[in-house]
Amino acid sequence: MFNFKFNSISDAIFMQSSNGQYHGLYVWSVVLIVLLSISITFLVYKVQIKNIGKKIK
Amino acid sequence: MKAIRKKRLTTVLFLLLTSGLGTILIIKALDSNLDFFFTPSEIFAEDLPENKRIKVGGMVLEDSVERDGTNIVFQITDYEESIEVEFNGIVPDLFKEGSGVVVLGYLFEGSIKAEKVLAKHDENYMPPSLDIEK
Amino acid sequence: MIKKFIHQFASPKTYLFQVDRAYPYIFYTSLSIYLVALFWGLFLTSEDFVQGNSYRIIYLHVPASFISQSLYLAMAFASAIFLIWKVKLSAYLVRSIAPIGAITTFIALVSGAIWGIPTWGTWWAWDARIISTLILFIMYLGLISLHDSFTDNEKADKFLAILVIVGSVNIPIIKMSVEWWSTLHQTASITVTEKPAIDPSMLYPLFGSIIGFTGIVFCLVILSSKLQILKREKNKSWVKDYV
Repeated sequence: MFNFKFNSISDAIFMQSSNGQYHGLYVWSVVLIVLLSISITFLVYKVQIKNIGKKIK
Repeated sequence: MKAIRKKRLTTVLFLLLTSGLGTILIIKALDSNLDFFFTPSEIFAEDLPENKRIKVGGMVLEDSVERDGTNIVFQITDYEESIEVEFNGIVPDLFKEGSGVVVLGYLFEGSIKAEKVLAKHDENYMPPSLDIEK
Repeated sequence: MIKKFIHQFASPKTYLFQVDRAYPYIFYTSLSIYLVALFWGLFLTSEDFVQGNSYRIIYLHVPASFISQSLYLAMAFASAIFLIWKVKLSAYLVRSIAPIGAITTFIALVSGAIWGIPTWGTWWAWDARIISTLILFIMYLGLISLHDSFTDNEKADKFLAILVIVGSVNIPIIKMSVEWWSTLHQTASITVTEKPAIDPSMLYPLFGSIIGFTGIVFCLVILSSKLQILKREKNKSWVKDYV
């Protein structure tokens, strides 16, 4: 249950499935979109809070 | 003061009414043919007109798939009736005999000329090894 | 009694001090749960017997979809509290949850579209589940722009709260869409009443990703509400001490 299902890093990037299709592009683009949009949102709020704090001071 | 309250009340009621009406319209729109798909039995029961774009959903009948280059002919079944589908193009990876499929196309001489073939999968997820053990 | 209780403990000031204390714990715990679950789901689980490796998108798509609907319910709950007891904090919360809801719904839509390419053979279908989620996204955006179009904040709060409650009809529609209509989208794999249709080895990381992502989004809601409070109460004396 806790073994790596991919033998090498390039296997994990391309994610070839048993039907021969490569699914890495789909999986990794979703990962990228999720992580990027969440971290950008964090950043935007942090900056806005900082700015309004400065204004109030 | 009273007049203002009355006005507020009417605005709220108006909002509720329009949004309720909007929801009903949305549900109606969702229920229309655009979204709904027919099963093979329903196609035979309802006597649909030819040349009308419809969606047909069901299972790909086992041993019915015939390929000829990019042309593909197969039967969609709901295990009561089945109907022939003709399609020219690339079918999705998950298209397999015995698995779910949704076809967009129109009726022509008793079979369906498909413009799009989509694969439908169910809610079950498991590793391949477990499937073989079954 | 209840009113007094709520007003005492739901003052924006107490709220800010409490969440500031809890924030780092929630953030680091949920971030580590999420990353571990993602690692587990992406590399340690087996591929699916039908979908192959593309099924791994489940670990990103399902948490986002779940949160996008839960956030709306939270908004509706806060709206009800605001309308009944006139708690200012809940009005701030309603306004600050909306943009976070819009982002998670956007993630749910985009990840679903990408997942649809290798599995269904299309990135978009006029399917009841997809349309109702798109409506949820538009509703979040509409609610934000509605609130911002008012010059009078008090009036805006009230209108927003009413509209949020009215719009909550959409949530059961999203939930039930896969049951009521014949949709391309499959029915729910995890339900309260039945045994999950997912193999345990794939289910544990899925639960982890849902819990972790919920915590992360909760942190975003905290930040967003903090911004909202600072904006709306900037003339109060305690805010000057706070910043």
